[in-house]
Amino acid sequence: MNWLTWLSDFFSDPEQHSGPNSIAHRVWEHLLFSGEALLYATVLAVPLGLLIGYTGRGVTAVTAFAGAARALPTLGLVTLTVLLAGVNDTAALVPLVALAAPPLLVAAVEGVRGTDPDVRDAARGVGLTHPQVLWQVCLPSAAPTLLAGFRTATVQVIATATVAAYVGLGGLGRYVIDGLATRRYAVTAGGALLVVLLAVGAQLLFSLLSRYALPPGARPGRRGR
Amino acid sequence: MIRFEGAGKRHPDGTIAVEGLDLEVPTGRTTVLVGPSGCGKTTLLRMVNRMVEPTSGRVLLDGTDVAELEPAKLRRGIGYVIQQAGLFPHRRVIDNIATVPRLLGWDRKRARARAAELLELVGLAPDLAKRYPFQLSGGQQQRVGVARALAADPPVLLMDEPFSAVDPVVRAGLQDELLRLQSELHKTVLFVTHDIEEAVRLGDQVVVLREHGKIAQLADPHTLLTAPADDGVAAFLGRDRGLRGLGLRPASAVVLRPVDAGLRYGNWELALDDGRRPIGWIDRAAASADLHPAAGFRPEADTLRTALDAAVLSPAGVAVALDADGRATGTASREAVLAALPALPAPSALPAPAVDGADGADRADGVPLRKDGAPGTPTVSQTDSRADSRTDGAAGGR
Repeated sequence: MNWLTWLSDFFSDPEQHSGPNSIAHRVWEHLLFSGEALLYATVLAVPLGLLIGYTGRGVTAVTAFAGAARALPTLGLVTLTVLLAGVNDTAALVPLVALAAPPLLVAAVEGVRGTDPDVRDAARGVGLTHPQVLWQVCLPSAAPTLLAGFRTATVQVIATATVAAYVGLGGLGRYVIDGLATRRYAVTAGGALLVVLLAVGAQLLFSLLSRYALPPGARPGRRGR
Repeated sequence: MIRFEGAGKRHPDGTIAVEGLDLEVPTGRTTVLVGPSGCGKTTLLRMVNRMVEPTSGRVLLDGTDVAELEPAKLRRGIGYVIQQAGLFPHRRVIDNIATVPRLLGWDRKRARARAAELLELVGLAPDLAKRYPFQLSGGQQQRVGVARALAADPPVLLMDEPFSAVDPVVRAGLQDELLRLQSELHKTVLFVTHDIEEAVRLGDQVVVLREHGKIAQLADPHTLLTAPADDGVAAFLGRDRGLRGLGLRPASAVVLRPVDAGLRYGNWELALDDGRRPIGWIDRAAASADLHPAAGFRPEADTLRTALDAAVLSPAGVAVALDADGRATGTASREAVLAALPALPAPSALPAPAVDGADGADRADGVPLRKDGAPGTPTVSQTDSRADSRTDGAAGGR
């Protein structure tokens, strides 16, 4: 059996077509987990990052923290959370938020710090207050960097959300882990492929967003003229 | 009126940017702060809108200490233009210009209507309104910067080296535009530059600063060029300041020889087309009828310097006066152009300690050397010899 037959077995198996173990349901669970994790990470990291980037205070600390956070073993964190909080949504969410927050934090800090100092000076000089400068000038200017941060965070979270299954929760990780446990490698391969497709899809979505959703003056590669 | 009263700035690390300056910036006129980099001119300008807080003394705006005003509110009432324009990259031109009216609470429609007026006022085409700053040339960006500063019609305009980053041709155009705007709007302008040429061109009064914001000389441009306070100022003014002074005198003072009175000067004859536009000079003594370019000037718009330049360039030594349509209205020889200068005293009336040539003549204009009458002003001969050596040094260093 090669992996192509595994995949055709997996996708043609009626077991994957309806019910709680259906592909649609597992994908939905997976996206829901990922979205929730990203939401919490955003609420935690972005405002803090914008503030740090604007004031310039604590930038060194952020860099050090983000570097250290990257070294956190996700699986270890899952185990730790389960031991502390038991098997529930939190057990899967905590490590995912820990994964998504650092790139968002760094992106927010760097994005705001990347605002043209002349533009900031002019904004202050014509009478914008500090919150207005941050909101009306620095945030749009940080948008491309911030979007890139979201892309990194999203792709990583989608790829890593498989660990939810490790602690008995849903998502595409179910296929991978259950398949391994029951030696049904077709299921494992199918689940893995779906995770890859989701991650690649997210990557594409963000590429489109950065090309079309930003105002022309804030699109990457158009500045420094 | 802006008034600096002992305004000084000492940085936390102890370095002194400005030691303590007293200066009045009169209402409705252009005052230019000029000096080498590090003389504190930008610091002084930024004290007015509280982008820099003085560590000693104070700055008064129409009698009120600016320190008592809320910074954001104060700044909305003062136009601010900086070197790189500092336009908001994500906003269209029209919304960049509408920034301050929007901050003042105007609705979007009214603010944009006002912005469209300003776009026209600064000489930009209406179709630029929808562009983003990165789609404009440097000169256009700078014009948008000026429009944004003027949008809420502030009485005071602060301009920090606004034209330094564009090429000389564009810069001259922007300077003309500012002079035209100022003749219509009569703002109280405080302008900072390191370019003395720009300073004498734009300023009603020019303040030459040296390190720590000390005033080396405060004078109108003509006085500055003809009677620098000391050798330091003379060196800063650079070469040819006598000739450059011609650039401050209107060419309308030149007495023209009417076209009807003849177009011949010696062998040279000016050829005109049917519309009386000059075609060129023809040398009647030469075998061929080759045309030599005829340089012209516009008496109503140009300066004596342009007129003299045209006369020097002409093979006949004669500048052609033109009207707005390029038609010849008269001619003026080099002598006629120079005759437009104020009459000099007869040679015997020159001051006794005969100093050489042009410098002596300048001084003989009778303008006081220093306004403050500081004691210990060196004698004329000492000043001159040192001025010469300094000027040479400055020229050699270029």
